[in-house]
Amino acid sequence: MNKIWRVAATEYLNAVRSKAFLVGVLLLPVIMAISIGVQFYAQKKTDLTPRRLAVLDRSGQLYEALAAKAKARNEALRTKPNSVAVELQGQRLKMDLPQQPEFVLEQFQFPGDDLKAAELQLSERVRRKELFAFLIIGQHILTPDATNHTELLYHTQTPTFHELPGWLDATLNAEIRERRFTAAGVDSKQVRQLSSQVPLHRLGLAEQKTSGEVIAAKHENRIATHAVPLGAMFLLFMTVMSSAPALMNTVLEEKMQKIAEVLLASVSPFQLMLGKLLGTVLVSLTLSSIYLVGTSWTLWKYGQLVHVPGHLFAWFFVFQLLSLLMFGSMFIAVGAACSEIRDAQNLIVPVMMTLMIPMLTWMAVLQSPASPFARALSLFPPATPIIMFLRIAIPPGPAWWEIALSLVLTTLFTLGCVWVSAKIFRLGILSQGQTPSIPKLIAWVFSK
Amino acid sequence: MPPPLSAAPPPAVRLANVTKTFGAHTAVRDLSLTVPTGCTYGFIGPNGSGKTTTIRTILHIFHPDSGAVEVLGERSTRAANDRIGYLPEERGLYKKMTVRRVLAYYAALKGMARADAAREIEKWLAKMGLSEWADKKVEALSKGMAQKIQFIAAVVARPELLILDEPFSGLDPVNLEVIRTAILELRAAGTTVIFSTHDMAMAETMCDFIFMIYRGNKVLDGTLSDIQRSYGEDTIRVNSAGGAELLRSLPGVELVRDLGQSQELRHPDPQALLRDLAPRTTVRHFEVTKPSLHDIFIRIAQPDAQELAVPKTTGGGS
Repeated sequence: MNKIWRVAATEYLNAVRSKAFLVGVLLLPVIMAISIGVQFYAQKKTDLTPRRLAVLDRSGQLYEALAAKAKARNEALRTKPNSVAVELQGQRLKMDLPQQPEFVLEQFQFPGDDLKAAELQLSERVRRKELFAFLIIGQHILTPDATNHTELLYHTQTPTFHELPGWLDATLNAEIRERRFTAAGVDSKQVRQLSSQVPLHRLGLAEQKTSGEVIAAKHENRIATHAVPLGAMFLLFMTVMSSAPALMNTVLEEKMQKIAEVLLASVSPFQLMLGKLLGTVLVSLTLSSIYLVGTSWTLWKYGQLVHVPGHLFAWFFVFQLLSLLMFGSMFIAVGAACSEIRDAQNLIVPVMMTLMIPMLTWMAVLQSPASPFARALSLFPPATPIIMFLRIAIPPGPAWWEIALSLVLTTLFTLGCVWVSAKIFRLGILSQGQTPSIPKLIAWVFSK
Repeated sequence: MPPPLSAAPPPAVRLANVTKTFGAHTAVRDLSLTVPTGCTYGFIGPNGSGKTTTIRTILHIFHPDSGAVEVLGERSTRAANDRIGYLPEERGLYKKMTVRRVLAYYAALKGMARADAAREIEKWLAKMGLSEWADKKVEALSKGMAQKIQFIAAVVARPELLILDEPFSGLDPVNLEVIRTAILELRAAGTTVIFSTHDMAMAETMCDFIFMIYRGNKVLDGTLSDIQRSYGEDTIRVNSAGGAELLRSLPGVELVRDLGQSQELRHPDPQALLRDLAPRTTVRHFEVTKPSLHDIFIRIAQPDAQELAVPKTTGGGS
C-alpha cells in the first residue's frame, strides 16, 4: 500500500506542479470571463446605424400610423438610459442595456399597378445601400375576408437582422387588428381587456412537518431548478474530462520512454496502475475543490448559495470518484495496450464516445428527469455518474432506492473496469510493436 | 515439478528449470542457474536470445510458466525486489522531473527513507561529477549524463543484488571507466552484480562467472578459465608478414578472426601449419592458445554451430 501511495503522490505532485495544471485551473474561469466579456463588448459594438425602410402602402391607410410609431420608437430610444442600476445583496451593480438602431421610414409612391417594376426599383435601391429594406403592404390588408393582397412583404438582403421585421410584424398587426375591430363595430379596448394574458405561476409542492404544520409550496426558482443542476453537471463532466484522458498519455509516455520497466522492478503492475489512478483522482479532486470553493464563494457573495443543497457537494465528489476510477482505468488500459499515440487515438474513440453519452442525453433528462429513459440511463453505469447526479440535482430528485441501486451497479462496474484494465496493463505495459487486436486484448484479460 | 531447492545458505539468485514462453515462442527453456552471493556474473548472448527475459524473470516482472525462482532467499515473490537494483537496457527517466526528484522517487519506491535517500543521492551525484545538475531537469542532460543518472537510480538504494542490462552501451571511454570503477567498488563492498553485455573483453576482465544463453537455451555457464578449458587449446594466434590473405590460402586453415596485425585461426595440426607457413613468409609470432570468449561466442552463435546441441557447463553455475 505504501508503494501505491508513493506512486500516487509522485503522479499528483508531477501534475499539480506542472504549468498545464495551472493553465487547466485558470482555463474555465478565463474562458467564462472572456465569453461574458466578449458578449458585453459585442453588445456595445452593436451596429446602431439607422435602418432606412421604404414602405409601399398599397392599402393607402397604414403608412402614416406606422411612420408615427417609428418616430415614437426613435424618440424613446434617444431618451432611454444606456444602463440600469441593480441592487444585489447590498451591492450596486451597473448593467448595460442592449442598444438598438433607429428605424427611418419613407413612403414609396409608385404610379400604376406594376408591382414587379416597383419591387425591382426598390431592390436596386437596397443594392445601392440607399435602403436597408422595403415593405409592401397588401392592398386589401384591412379586409379580413379578402383572399388576395392581404400580406406584408418584407424585402432585404440582410435576412439575419431580425429586429426590423419583428417590429414591423408586431406594430402593423396591432394596428391592423385595431382597425378591423373598429370596422366591425367592436370595442377594441374591451377586447384587449377580455383577452388579456393570465399569468401562470410555477410552484413546487406543499409539505407537512411532523408537527402537523403545513408549509406552503414555494415559487419555482430557475436558479435552483435549472442553473444549479446544469452548472454542477457540467463542472463534474469537465473535471473528469480534464483529468482521466491524461492518464493515457502518462502511461504511453512511460511505456515509450521505457520508464515502466524501471518502475516494475520496484512495484507490481497493479501497484503502479492503482498508484497512477489514485494520483489522478487526487489531481481531479484538487481541481474540482478549487472550482467548487470559487463558485460557492461567488454564489454566497450574491446570496444565491441557498439554492445549492448541501448534499449536492457530497454527491459531486462520490460520482466524480466513481467516474474517474471507471474512465481512468479505461484510459490506462488504452495507453498500456498501445505503443504509439496514433494507435491510442484510434483505440480511444469508443471510450470517448461512452464518456460523451451524458452530454448527448442531458436535455432529455432535464426535461423529464423521472421518465423511463432518464431512469434507465441513470442506472447504466457508464452514464450513471453524470446522469444520476443531474437527476439528484433537479428537485425533488430520484427515489432513494434508485440512487442506491445506481451506486451498487456503478461500483461493481467500476471494479470490473479496474480489474480488466489491470489485466491489460500487466501485459501491455512491456509489450512492444503492433497494437493488439480486440480479440488479443480479450485474451490478455483472461490470461493467467 | 521443479526439483526441490536445497536448504543451503542462499545464493543471490537460483533458477530451477525455468521455462518462459510468449505464445508459440519459447524465450527461456528449462533454465537452471545459480548466482553465488558476492560475485560478478556476466550474461552474454546474441540479441533476442533470452537474456532480458531471464533478467525480468529474476525481477519477477515476468512469471515463469514452469520452474522456480529464488532471489536473495525469497521464493517466487517480489519480496526481495527492494534489495535489487536494476538498470534496464533501454534507459527510462522522467524528462520533466529534476534529477534529484527522479532519483528520490526511485529510491522511495525501493522503500528508502527520505533523508537516507537524500544523503545517498548527494554522495552518488558527487561521485559521478553531476552535483551541479541535481536541480536541472532530466531533459537538459546529455546522453552520457542521463546514463550515469540511470546508473545512480539503480544503486541509490544500496542494493544487495545489482542487475545491469548493457551498462556500458553508448558510453564514451571516460564515462565507461567511471561506471566500471563504480561497479567494481560495489562488488568489493559485497554487492552481487549481474550484468549483460555484448562486450566480450569487458566480460572477460570483470566477471567471475559467465553465463551464455542462445535461443532460450543455456549454452555456457562457469568461470572463464573453466569455459576456455572445456574448449581446449585449439586456437592459434599468428602475426606474420603475409597476413590474413596468406593464411586463408593455406590448406586446413579455418580463419576465426582477423585482428589486423594478427589473426586467430584453427588448424587440425599446428606444427604442420607452422612448417607450411615458415617458408612462405616472415612469422613474427605463433602461439597455440585457448579460445577467447569472443571466439567462443561466435562459434556458438553461428547458425550452424555444432556446439549448440551440447551445453558446456562447468564451475560456479549449476
